[in-house]
Amino acid sequence: MDIDDILKEVDPTFNTIPPETRDLQALTRAWVAERSTPELLEWPPDNLFERISNRIKAQIEKIEDMTGDMDPRTNFALIVIQTELERYKFLMRSFLRSRMAKHQALLHNHYLSSFLSAFPPALQNLNDTAGNISMIDQPDNEGAVFVRLLRGTMVTGRGVDADGSYEGQEGHILILRWSDAKGIVARGDAEVV
Amino acid sequence: MALPLPPGLLPSEVNFLCEMELVTVVPRQRLDPIELLSGKTPALRPPYRADIPLWLALLLKKQRRANIVPPPWLHPSSLGEIVHHETHVDPGAFSAPPPVPSRADPSNPGTARVPVYGDAAMTLSPPFVPSNTSSAPANLLPYHWFEMSEVLLAHAGDDIPASGEVRRLVRDLQEVRAAKMREGMVSLGSGGGVTNLKGVGGMELAEGRGFILGVVDGVRRIGAGAEVSRREEEEEQELHGRAGGGRGDEEEDEEDDDDDEDMGF
Repeated sequence: MDIDDILKEVDPTFNTIPPETRDLQALTRAWVAERSTPELLEWPPDNLFERISNRIKAQIEKIEDMTGDMDPRTNFALIVIQTELERYKFLMRSFLRSRMAKHQALLHNHYLSSFLSAFPPALQNLNDTAGNISMIDQPDNEGAVFVRLLRGTMVTGRGVDADGSYEGQEGHILILRWSDAKGIVARGDAEVV
Repeated sequence: MALPLPPGLLPSEVNFLCEMELVTVVPRQRLDPIELLSGKTPALRPPYRADIPLWLALLLKKQRRANIVPPPWLHPSSLGEIVHHETHVDPGAFSAPPPVPSRADPSNPGTARVPVYGDAAMTLSPPFVPSNTSSAPANLLPYHWFEMSEVLLAHAGDDIPASGEVRRLVRDLQEVRAAKMREGMVSLGSGGGVTNLKGVGGMELAEGRGFILGVVDGVRRIGAGAEVSRREEEEEQELHGRAGGGRGDEEEDEEDDDDDEDMGF
């Protein structure tokens, strides 16, 4: 136990976040990131997705139990529960759907390269990138993204005329290349917005 | 078959995020706590105020079970103050957003406390930081300001004092900030590779995304050749400088004055 642990214990803002809020924040963050980055991201850690799936299943069972009840007060609660359930389902589906789209793009590239490797070298170069337009839809990891800094950190970005370091503060919203943002997002210093 | 959507949130998805923002309601009917996936709702007992997610507040409002208390920043005087700030005090930037959660003092909304320790495992960010409840600060625009004002004006207009004036001020603000966004484009893409848009709103990003990122990526593609040769040159100079002492530095001086500061000569 070091000083940080002690400070955590006395800090009123620490550990006061309910687990349901944490999970919803984590799922929302993962969804926005998957929707806004060119690359397929890592599967959320700590069984987040599996845990929320199970809770959704339990909630559906609860709704089934409640539907028999005709008390008008329960009725309104049921509408609220169902409305929220639909919102969670939307988040989960949209998250999976954007991952699937990225998977398909990767697979497509893989097939292309597998077939093409059997052709004579002169015919292999089907991906003509003349005019800066790629025939094969590859994730452009140099593409720019928006990120929000979750804590103050040094951000290094590469530009056309110059590269630069920038002392970012919590809450700043930055534009930079995904390849430059990836590291700080993975460290939890920033989130994609 | 997954439908490939273009990267970036659609305006409808930004609205979806905004609906998770906490707002304050005054219940007109009792409602017992409901066990939701996102946690238990507070017991609603008229006339006591409670903070609940916007989607739930809209549901209650539609059924006349509650009134929504507009966030303090949405009052005409606050919006007028922000418009004044954006146009006269600091026309070159977006006005400041509310203090970030780890530095916001929960006992004294609108002020910052000295950071003791940020939650390393989980830092909450909008829509999960309460910046639209009745205890949120005035004069500071939260991240979902535009979508929040639109939805409240559309579905709870009768709960907003001087809603006509509020609507007009929101329009003014949107125009002032959209102009700033366009002016900011000039410096995009070149420079140091990192551009700060502090204070920008969620809907503003969604609507400007195609254009802004298009400009940044366009500048990058057009300048790709120049960038590669610049980097090669810099590498070479570094090698050269290390091997041959002062020679490289002189060449550097003649070519690019800006780099000298960065490289600490």
